[in-house]
Amino acid sequence: MSQPVRNTLAELREIRALAKLTLGGYPWLLPQTEIRSLESPLDIDREVRAPQGIGAIALGGEWWPVYCLSGDLRLLPQPPDSRGICALLDNGADRFGLLCDQIETLAETPRLLALPACMGLPDSPIQALAPLDEGLGCVTDTEHLAALLATLAEGADGH
Amino acid sequence: MATENPMESMAWMLALDDRLRAAVGEHELIHLIEAPTLLDVPLSPHYCRRAILWNDLLLPAMDLAAWLWGREQPAQPTRKLAGVVAYQPQMGAAEYGVLLLSDIPARTRVSDTQACKLPEQPTGWRDLAISCFLDAETPVPILDLPFIFSGGLLTAR
Repeated sequence: MSQPVRNTLAELREIRALAKLTLGGYPWLLPQTEIRSLESPLDIDREVRAPQGIGAIALGGEWWPVYCLSGDLRLLPQPPDSRGICALLDNGADRFGLLCDQIETLAETPRLLALPACMGLPDSPIQALAPLDEGLGCVTDTEHLAALLATLAEGADGH
Repeated sequence: MATENPMESMAWMLALDDRLRAAVGEHELIHLIEAPTLLDVPLSPHYCRRAILWNDLLLPAMDLAAWLWGREQPAQPTRKLAGVVAYQPQMGAAEYGVLLLSDIPARTRVSDTQACKLPEQPTGWRDLAISCFLDAETPVPILDLPFIFSGGLLTAR
């Protein structure tokens, strides 16, 4: 799978609203427009599984595969007890659910800073960093997460 | 490095951990932060997992000892210093980074006659250093800051 293009800081700063998805204590920031809906983990059907997923949620007549990722975006086969809400992400091309500790909308768009060149591994989904009260938020989007999930699933299948 | 006379320069000697020493030019080390607040950046390389907010800039905190030894170093209570360094990339204005240090840097005068070979171990010195000098019989590599902070270590080795 080809890697998605990393957006420039100027392009990222045009995003009007960011949502904060907390995963294992780490804040991940995504465009709010890419969150289709919020669902309860109780609605996850564990019998309907995509590769490396933990189940699926039915919405709009379709199954949305649901994944559980650690704070540093490793696949977790078993969701921690702290994961209390599921975001269904949709950018028009990629659709999946992500089980989160918490989700909230940021009242103001934080200051976005470039990921230093020496910190950016080639397949990193981090497009920028944002200072928050609890540390640095990592700005990403559904496309980059989908690419990462595909890579993780391929890697898991290979072992 | 600033030249004191045609044969001499001033440098800062840096303690990367309790064993590894390196140097930068006198004007490359611009600030020292005691007990810095280090912010985690997930999915970053093991030798540069944290960043520091300094003067409204986000600076990568480079643990060169971790890179040289090839593994993340356990948290060491003695490594409580962050040295802010400035470097000039090939194009553009000066940029900044942070080196994690285990001791207060020492200023020293370096003469061209002290030039020596890089240490053979750890092998990574070949990538990190632009030259080397002898200080009390010990080789001290001089760091290539533009290479280190421009992402050169991501593809080295």
